[in-house]
Amino acid sequence: MWLVLCDANDASATLVFQALRVRGIAPLELITADALALAEEWEHRIEGDAASVRVRLGDGRTFEGGALRGVLNRLFTAPTWHWRAAAKADQEYVQQELIAFFLSWLNALPCPVINRPTPQGLCGRWRSEAEWVCLAQRAGLPVAPYRASSFDRIDEMRGEKRLLVPGASTRSVIVVNGTVAGTSVPDELKGACAAFAKEAETELIGLDFIDGAAGSWTFVGANPMPDLRWGGPALIDAVVEALAMREQVPA
Amino acid sequence: MILLCGIPSEPPIAMVAKALEERGARYVFFNQRQFANAAISFEILNGSPTGSLQIDGVSYRLEDIVGVYTRLMDYRRLPELDGAPEGSDLYRYCAALNDVLARWSEICAARVVNRMAPMGSNSSKPYQAQLIRRYGFYVPATLITNSPEAVLAFRERHKRIIYKSISGVRSIVQTFEDADIARFPALRWCPTQFQQYVEGYDVRVHVVGEKVFATKINSTATDYRYARTQAGEAAELTAMEIPDNVAQGCINLAAGLGLAFAGIDLKFAPEGEVYCFEVNPSPGYSYFEANSGQPIAQAVADYLIGAA
Repeated sequence: MWLVLCDANDASATLVFQALRVRGIAPLELITADALALAEEWEHRIEGDAASVRVRLGDGRTFEGGALRGVLNRLFTAPTWHWRAAAKADQEYVQQELIAFFLSWLNALPCPVINRPTPQGLCGRWRSEAEWVCLAQRAGLPVAPYRASSFDRIDEMRGEKRLLVPGASTRSVIVVNGTVAGTSVPDELKGACAAFAKEAETELIGLDFIDGAAGSWTFVGANPMPDLRWGGPALIDAVVEALAMREQVPA
Repeated sequence: MILLCGIPSEPPIAMVAKALEERGARYVFFNQRQFANAAISFEILNGSPTGSLQIDGVSYRLEDIVGVYTRLMDYRRLPELDGAPEGSDLYRYCAALNDVLARWSEICAARVVNRMAPMGSNSSKPYQAQLIRRYGFYVPATLITNSPEAVLAFRERHKRIIYKSISGVRSIVQTFEDADIARFPALRWCPTQFQQYVEGYDVRVHVVGEKVFATKINSTATDYRYARTQAGEAAELTAMEIPDNVAQGCINLAAGLGLAFAGIDLKFAPEGEVYCFEVNPSPGYSYFEANSGQPIAQAVADYLIGAA
């Protein structure tokens, strides 16, 4: 069985799910974060050298981690709306508990997982703009000048950016398992995009660029949960290939 | 130049400051409570940050800072922000300063004790347990479930079990008793972590780079950190020697997690197995040093100046 894990409103994950089904990836299930948060039964074990997970959802669907063949992981957080009547401190506690739980059981999956979870993000590592810029410069990408000061009126924790001007149009490039997909990516950038993804140790990653003078592209950010609709057929091919590859138990 | 970040009176950072003074090492203190007297700015060139830090009117080149020890608290709880609205200039400046300082410390070339990203493994104990197993330590049999039947079967198999948080929040270890069965209906709403109880004695190992300090803990409490509450008396701490292979395993574990300084919680079982429960990435070592006399602060100071 293959899984696509995502939020209920993740349109691009749904699109990839449908494309994977058309390409014959079966059995294939789409499971939402809400369904996982409200699962009827969870059993996640760590014993000896083995870690396992078994879950039975509210609709009766059941999966065991060891029986999975591949997972497209687009989980951003663990929903806690069913705790909304609780005190705020309890809601925050449950949120931390569920994220910690999701991180552990996702990490225990022995099959290919795109992306594997990290403590900095359930679907891959989110980094600060400064870290992305360092990686981009080292990978040889053209990068907008980055300066940060304590006098800036920018709060990255609220999603505010230093490099990306609000309203600016961007172009996205998606790298999956070394394959560069996206609209009209200049050939001279493809190698650097692949090098960036490798440096970022993230199998599926989106890079954002703005148009510079004379049509040049300038890197302004990246994230491990890009809009997959930008990738086209090349992206679907790369996802299918990556999900079909077997790998060893991660821990 | 060494940079210390935190509140000067807090014992762990105060002891490192004293050790740096004893070594004649130059250091500058970013007193988090006096954030209004500090500023930082940097840019990134060729994949590395360059810039300056101002504290009390004195400017320091960030490139000259070779070591950073950070014990920053959640700035939102600073007394200086009491009553300050989130949108106020004071609040926003404090947030920006802490944020830019954190961004820089994550990418700078200095020895940082510790960077934030590697500290993240401690945010999920079962996740960290999966990493710990790679370094040759036993980890307790663990079950995370929302099924009462699974809990009872787990207890039947292991006889005595404990429960504790999955994340780092509200992390107090408690023995599972018959009376807890009455709380099973709440289990439905949030999977909970249960573990086999491991007999033996607790050992806290502090690793600083390649240096190892092992401290034996004598206590009958389920969680020795709360020994006064759980067992009626404080835990007794004494320095001890541990086998070379265990010490090397601790060094490898800390390095593997990317931690220059770590507090590793071990339990030596009666049959000789060495269990590892957790790796603390920001250990409050002063409690152990005060009771055991082990020179942990000096080791941290040596690490920061590059002498270790």
